[in-house]
Amino acid sequence: MAKTFKFEIVTPEKVVYSDSVICVSADGTEGGLGVLADHAPLITELQTSILTVTDAHNKKVLFALDGGFMEVVANNVVLLTDKCVMEGEVDVEKVRSEKDTAEKALQKAGNIGEKEKAQAALKRADTWLKLANK
Amino acid sequence: MLSTREIKQRIRSITSIKQITRAMEMVAASRLKKVESRVLASRAFTEKMHSVLNHLVSSLESTHPWFAEKEQAVPVIKIILITADKGLCGAYNNNIIQKVVKFIRENTGKEIKLTLIGKKGYLYFSKGRQASLVEKYIPESTERLGYDHVQALAGQLIKEYERNEFGELHIFFTKFHTVMQSFSTSMRLLPIDKGTFESKEKKSGGEYIFEPSAEQIIGNLFPKFVETRLYQCILESLTSEYAARRVAMIAATENAGEMIEELTSSYNKARQSTITKELLEVVSGAEALIQ
Repeated sequence: MAKTFKFEIVTPEKVVYSDSVICVSADGTEGGLGVLADHAPLITELQTSILTVTDAHNKKVLFALDGGFMEVVANNVVLLTDKCVMEGEVDVEKVRSEKDTAEKALQKAGNIGEKEKAQAALKRADTWLKLANK
Repeated sequence: MLSTREIKQRIRSITSIKQITRAMEMVAASRLKKVESRVLASRAFTEKMHSVLNHLVSSLESTHPWFAEKEQAVPVIKIILITADKGLCGAYNNNIIQKVVKFIRENTGKEIKLTLIGKKGYLYFSKGRQASLVEKYIPESTERLGYDHVQALAGQLIKEYERNEFGELHIFFTKFHTVMQSFSTSMRLLPIDKGTFESKEKKSGGEYIFEPSAEQIIGNLFPKFVETRLYQCILESLTSEYAARRVAMIAATENAGEMIEELTSSYNKARQSTITKELLEVVSGAEALIQ
């Protein structure tokens, strides 16, 4: 059996996931990366994207992340993110309406700050929907 | 001495007060349970983030501007005060407000700007000459302040800090310990105390790989850290509030019970004395007839 390590996803609202896993593959800001057991210590920033976790029973679990940071140290991986949702838990209706609001906000946005904010919200909604359709 | 009728009336009104306090106690207890799980989850997040930052900072050579005490800091101190919207929770509001009052007195040379979360704090500071200190009042109830709200508030404060509009940011909140114990304390959010990261637990494992650079990660992680700390403080306060209210209401219910007991015994005494008096009258009347 493949070697496992401890993986946790934590948001300010709750601990979303905590288990022994074989592999975590994520989209870093510098490109995709996969983490296996005995990975070198690493701190990285993540994109708003879909995260694939292979758990100890070789089952794939998908999550949608709203950016975040991941720390890998001594077979302990912690992922900190503002928002995260597991596959099958996406509230499609709600995300659609959030997407609408974001699109409207993007059209109305006056300065760069507002535009960036709306774009981030839009990207989040898209990622959530992508997860729902997988 | 009160008449039996008056005593009876009093007993009735205290019984209904007791029912109300008992109901409030139960409401507080159920809210406490809900919010307690939130505070524990957010504590986990804050702790994890703290340890990540710990590793980052210890492997960073240069000091980041967020740590440094600005040499020519603007003599403006911002204070965030978290109180409850309602009373009836013992000394909870008063304790934390007094802390702020003391802090203001100790820093008379500097300009103080208050950001108030919770109605009680606002009611206290919006009156009299202190009103000029109040800069912002956030009217949403603490219970409904979600992470998004806090993010917006923290984002604005960080921007102001970067524009050098204030030198320090302090937060006054009540730290939840157990139901019977919580502490009103304060913490400096900005600039970040470097002492916070004096790593006690040095994890071995050699050098870290940073993607992107450590400076960049820190630049993005620090605002998050301020955000989560602020959120954490709000949740801690909210939990303490419910705990304090619950304790206060338990005490009130108990006191009402004792009062009812006392009144019942004095009611019985009063009733007995009227009976005795009437009996005496009858007996002495009968005696007089015999003679």
